[in-house]
Amino acid sequence: MSQHFKMVLGLVMALLFGTTAQAQIQQIQSEQLLPKDAVTVFSINNISLLQKISMDELVNYEFMSEVHQELFDGSTAGKTLKDAGLDFNQRLNLFYGKSNTHELTGFTFGISDKKALFEVFDDFQVVESPLAGLEIYGTFFNQLLIKDNKAILIRIEPTMEHIDAVTDSIWYARGNEMPFDFFEEAPQEEQILDEQTYEDNPNTNVFPEATENPAVKNYYELRDSVQVMLQQAELARVIDEIFVQGINLYNLDPRFAAQLTHNAEGVFYLDNARNLDKSEGLWYFQTVLPTLYKDIQELYAGNVILGDLFLRDNKVDFEVEAQYGAALGSIYAQMNDAKFDKNVLAYIPAQSPAYFTYNINLEQAYEQAYKVLLPLLTDEKNAQIAMNVLTLELLNEFINKEALFDTYKGSMFGTFNGIKKVKTKKIEFSYDEETFAYQETETETEAEMPIFTLGFTTARADIPEMVLKHMARLSSRIQRFENYWRIDNAILDAAPLYILNTGKLLIFTNDEDLARMHPKGYGKGALAKKERNAARQSGFMYGSVDIPKTLDRFPTEVLTPRNAEIVSSLKGKSGQLILTSSETNTEHTTFKLSYSYVGAESTGKHLLDLVNSLYLIYTLNP
Amino acid sequence: MKYILVFLLIGLLSACIEISDDLTLNNDGSGTLRYKINLSASKVKVNSILALDSLGGKPVPSKTQISAKINEFVRILDAQVGISNVLVEESYTDFIFKFSCDFSSIRNLQDGIKVSIAQITNDKVTTAADQYWLSWDGNTLVRSIPSYVTQQIKNYKLEDAEQLKVGVYTSIARFERPVASFENKLGTLSKNQMAVMVRTNTFELKENQHLLDNTIVLTPR
Repeated sequence: MSQHFKMVLGLVMALLFGTTAQAQIQQIQSEQLLPKDAVTVFSINNISLLQKISMDELVNYEFMSEVHQELFDGSTAGKTLKDAGLDFNQRLNLFYGKSNTHELTGFTFGISDKKALFEVFDDFQVVESPLAGLEIYGTFFNQLLIKDNKAILIRIEPTMEHIDAVTDSIWYARGNEMPFDFFEEAPQEEQILDEQTYEDNPNTNVFPEATENPAVKNYYELRDSVQVMLQQAELARVIDEIFVQGINLYNLDPRFAAQLTHNAEGVFYLDNARNLDKSEGLWYFQTVLPTLYKDIQELYAGNVILGDLFLRDNKVDFEVEAQYGAALGSIYAQMNDAKFDKNVLAYIPAQSPAYFTYNINLEQAYEQAYKVLLPLLTDEKNAQIAMNVLTLELLNEFINKEALFDTYKGSMFGTFNGIKKVKTKKIEFSYDEETFAYQETETETEAEMPIFTLGFTTARADIPEMVLKHMARLSSRIQRFENYWRIDNAILDAAPLYILNTGKLLIFTNDEDLARMHPKGYGKGALAKKERNAARQSGFMYGSVDIPKTLDRFPTEVLTPRNAEIVSSLKGKSGQLILTSSETNTEHTTFKLSYSYVGAESTGKHLLDLVNSLYLIYTLNP
Repeated sequence: MKYILVFLLIGLLSACIEISDDLTLNNDGSGTLRYKINLSASKVKVNSILALDSLGGKPVPSKTQISAKINEFVRILDAQVGISNVLVEESYTDFIFKFSCDFSSIRNLQDGIKVSIAQITNDKVTTAADQYWLSWDGNTLVRSIPSYVTQQIKNYKLEDAEQLKVGVYTSIARFERPVASFENKLGTLSKNQMAVMVRTNTFELKENQHLLDNTIVLTPR
């Protein structure tokens, strides 16, 4: 079985199995094997599939047959996941973590039948254990650690930077020179040994001498050895932490432990503060501006994202809470302290397959960010940052912030109104009959284009109007009409862009119908009262996607054939995605993503049908 | 280079396209080749593709990269024996590309193109470009569509049949003296009898890569 597949298998199993919530609260087990360095965890409590879908029904899915083939080789033919020896009364926890020197991935789970388990994990070999009661099994990539009825399958990879640093250190300490021939201009010709020459003349007995001492490792061999040793050392450290000292994520982070008590089918945990700490993208800050980096770390302290996955009747809910520290929280709290702009609702048509509204108070957010971030930057003793701080402070003093933030207040909305044919022009080649002399003729044609609208709340309509008026003097492509501006060929060099400046909203769209026929909004054709209220009552953000309507209108020709096929297959599925945000304060923001559908099938089965559709497409078109 | 070819392939075949190859042959075997690709009917689609970072897992080249590769081809071709006045017009507004060059013999023309393609790509095109697609004995011109074009068309999937059906390929041969006869049944003779034109849609060309092949016999001098 491929090693990589076993990690993927964990995900599949995690999506499929769990325990009852009651059992989890009373019997916390497998989660206590999670390494403390795990930054992201997806923990499955109970998807209830075993209650709602029988195992026999489950194993009949096409994608399950693939799992079976990978799990059970010839010697275990005819067996299914039921025979895998997993304890479905324990959680299954997938994790990913990264330190400055290592990456670790894997999952923890419970075992009900160890013999059966090893008929599945049949390529794991016994490894000597340093601890009594701890069994260790390994393959080249993965380690399986079992204690009592709990197990952790873990893969540890030292980062390449760490491997290189250690290797270089040993290499040069041994008195070696630079291992790469950077300065050799002409590549050395490789001498190829022709075995036939020696086979045809066995009496010559003259084999070429080895050019390198086989007892001494070259740079790459040394690097491979270093990698293995680092893996082993890190594994020893993880074993010591979890099984000797009892240090694990569950014991260490009460937020994670508290999340596990939720009566949800799945739990998600992402420690963004530690994620930031290990982010490779911030290496510049870490090395060149360590003080600033430390300040940023403090800013992100306490930033954790916690989520619950609930399977309800005809509905899947994903509820997310973003927690943050006081400094970051003060910025978010100010930013989200915005009144909903009800003017936007008039410009969202009732039939819109997908739309969103977004309400923020950019001015308050700016002021608070200025207050929080500027002192951090000011403290940094760096010429470039000092100049940037000076520029920022001067701009803050000189710019008319009131005019700026009245023009762009930060709130906006967007709609996708499907596909429409737009008029465009093409060149045709023609040839006269006399000599076939060639001519070019410009004719009108139509092209299909997705129709989007994006609008911004403004209290200073005069400013964009002023800009457009001057732009129109510079280019004949910009024209003023009674209710709107039109910029020719602005979209993909082919279709016009319309700008509606209503006085309270600045709207950009490629929808001619909106610009010409509905410059004051759709009136009765706008969103229904229920949807309007939902958008209005949501926090700083609301989004809605009608999956079949959106997919029906999606231009599949712009996709690759395979992706187009996936979209086509999903067109048969009903469903609606709704994103809402509720409370925002200095400590947290909560979001909710709901997927609902119409039909008699169970929620789990609906999801599995979707997964199976995707699987079939991919396997039928390898 | 292969990314450029991927782009051209996408542009050429999945969009509504018009291709015109126009060969003017003098009595002494010298002449002019004009080649035009017109994607203006699909400029929305081409612009959409160019706006992407990658398509089908392959990077989409920028206009600058496309232009640089075309100009490299022109530079190499212009340096070949018997080739002169190589010109290219690129319009990235209407996506029309026009190429023309003069040649002293059709052998020079074919060799020049073969070498130029070989130098800018290590792709399969190089092998296909080994073949000759024109021959001229002073009275008879035997012509086909270059195999590196037909091969690409042949490889294309039928999924975009509708797009291919509205695409047009026009092949014109012009001479200094009247045409006595030609073999291709799709061909038409100009009223002045000095040029033969064969047109078909790109779908039919995919189905039969020899659809535009023609043997044209001129009247004696």
